[in-house]
Amino acid sequence: MWTIHLYSKTRTQNLIITGLLAILGVLALVSLSLGAYQIPFAQLLGVILNGLGIQGVAAESQQVNVLLQIRLPRIVLATLIGGGLGVAGASLQGMFRNPLVEPGLIGVSSGSALFAVIYLVLIAGSTGIWKTMSAFGLPLFAFVGGLIHVAAVYRLSRSQGKTETSTLILAGVAINALAGALIGLTLFYADDAALRSFTFWSLGDLGGASWTKVPTAFLLILIPSLFLFRDCRALNALALGEHEAFHMGVNVKQIKIKLLITTALIVGVGVSLAGMIGFIGLIVPHLIRIGFGADHRLVLPGAFLLGAILMNVADLIARLIVIPAEMPIGVVTALIGAPFFIWLIFNLNKPKR
Amino acid sequence: MLQASRIHFCIQKRPVVDQISLTLQAGEILAVLGPNGAGKSTLFKILSGEISCKHGAVDYNGLPVGNLNSKKLAEVRAVMPQHSAVNFPFSAQEVVELGLFSTQSKNPAKLVEEVMEATNTLHLKNSNFQHLSGGEKQRVQLARVLVQIWEQKPFPRYLLLDEPTSSLDIAQQHGVLSILRQLTHRNIGVLIILHELNLAAQYADRIALLKNGMITSCGTVQEVLQEKTLHEVFDYPIQILQHPHHGGLIVSTSQPSFQKQLIKQA
Repeated sequence: MWTIHLYSKTRTQNLIITGLLAILGVLALVSLSLGAYQIPFAQLLGVILNGLGIQGVAAESQQVNVLLQIRLPRIVLATLIGGGLGVAGASLQGMFRNPLVEPGLIGVSSGSALFAVIYLVLIAGSTGIWKTMSAFGLPLFAFVGGLIHVAAVYRLSRSQGKTETSTLILAGVAINALAGALIGLTLFYADDAALRSFTFWSLGDLGGASWTKVPTAFLLILIPSLFLFRDCRALNALALGEHEAFHMGVNVKQIKIKLLITTALIVGVGVSLAGMIGFIGLIVPHLIRIGFGADHRLVLPGAFLLGAILMNVADLIARLIVIPAEMPIGVVTALIGAPFFIWLIFNLNKPKR
Repeated sequence: MLQASRIHFCIQKRPVVDQISLTLQAGEILAVLGPNGAGKSTLFKILSGEISCKHGAVDYNGLPVGNLNSKKLAEVRAVMPQHSAVNFPFSAQEVVELGLFSTQSKNPAKLVEEVMEATNTLHLKNSNFQHLSGGEKQRVQLARVLVQIWEQKPFPRYLLLDEPTSSLDIAQQHGVLSILRQLTHRNIGVLIILHELNLAAQYADRIALLKNGMITSCGTVQEVLQEKTLHEVFDYPIQILQHPHHGGLIVSTSQPSFQKQLIKQA
């Protein structure tokens, strides 16, 4: 009976993952067809079938261009960045043993943003060594900024092996304030063009999506996310406490360093590609836990897929509500996420029984 | 053998563990007793490898604890700390399954079921751990720890427990101690911090009495449980009685003023 139980557990997990994948697939199709430039479903299907080498309904070349050069890379990016934010949020919550942790709240995003702005304003224009590695300069700077901030918050909020929620949030507020001030200082030296692009970018923006950004996202978001999946059992053990995890045979120090670096990389690269997009990393792990339990073997891949789904939904809303203009995607995620955060605070303070 | 020799540990220049040496053999239960602040928990953390200690040595089966990585250490010893909080909605069974981390069990499902059966937690398996009562949580945690060393191994192993019975009722306390007794037949040595002297008298093979970071007395139950020693260690008058039927020792703390005559140990 028990073997059946364990077996059915993995089967349930596979079912959930398959379900989320299917939703993501349907959503991608819907998202391809809708927008300022409507593409009927028949034409959409034609383009896809053509891509597979089958003759379908013919589509105009403009439709093909919109689909393949504008919408598809955008959806791929939204999927990778949203998924990355979901996994990073779930991993950070697991590591901090705190369900309120989120890359934006604890300052990782703003740290990445600060270093990205420093790069854009002070370095990108200069010549020399940075010019030659311009494709990776921005993600690299964003990663370093995120890493410094997450390490700082972690240090500030810990006492005697525990992270207190209140200290953690306060440390995040302090670090965010500092980053905000330094961003302001840097922008003081920026020109008008840089300033305008920053305003949009600070609210999150997928409008600049193109195929040239996809390899970076693939290499520095998807692959690290897959690496995080392998640590799900250690994250489960960490949920009991760091000492307990050590007693059970987890190399706690090594796993923590690994988690910090990997999440900072995922978030930093996400910020460098699409700006600061908040709350995905907070909401998504919660929804998975509420729906399907706390086992990280499901939470991590589930958070990736649900993060991707939520990001695509938010992008679709951002594209559709103010046609022909476009809402910054960060505004949409914040409008969904902030009320959820408030609900979460209410519920965490309720007695457990 | 788990061997600690002359370990010495200071917190803010005050010795909390003062030149303690002790051994734990596989197959025995060693109870560590002492008043609050005697250094029991610090000693416990040093023995488990959680705190590294500059002075003195802790060896597991002849290997220094500092030379064993967390994985190797988890194979020779399991640890149950006093409190473990779980911040996410894990089910009781998922918590118990965490103990599988370092085991290479061929049949994990059977192992988990056996241990949950033994700890009387099987009926809780699908309950949210966070919603369990204090006693139930403690038993689930015990099950999680036992999973780690339940299966037979060709080398001696050790189980360290810090007050595992503090939230349990009388029947559950004896249930837990009986399980520990059975473990000693699996080539496992058990070190247990206890407050209940009668449990120690009934189940332990040896007792170590701790006060002010030092072992004041260590030996068999008969040797250590002396009225004078206990009075000095706990700063409270304690009587040792003999059970009228089976002859085992009973530790009594009733005040002499309420009893006209004390029955002295023969």
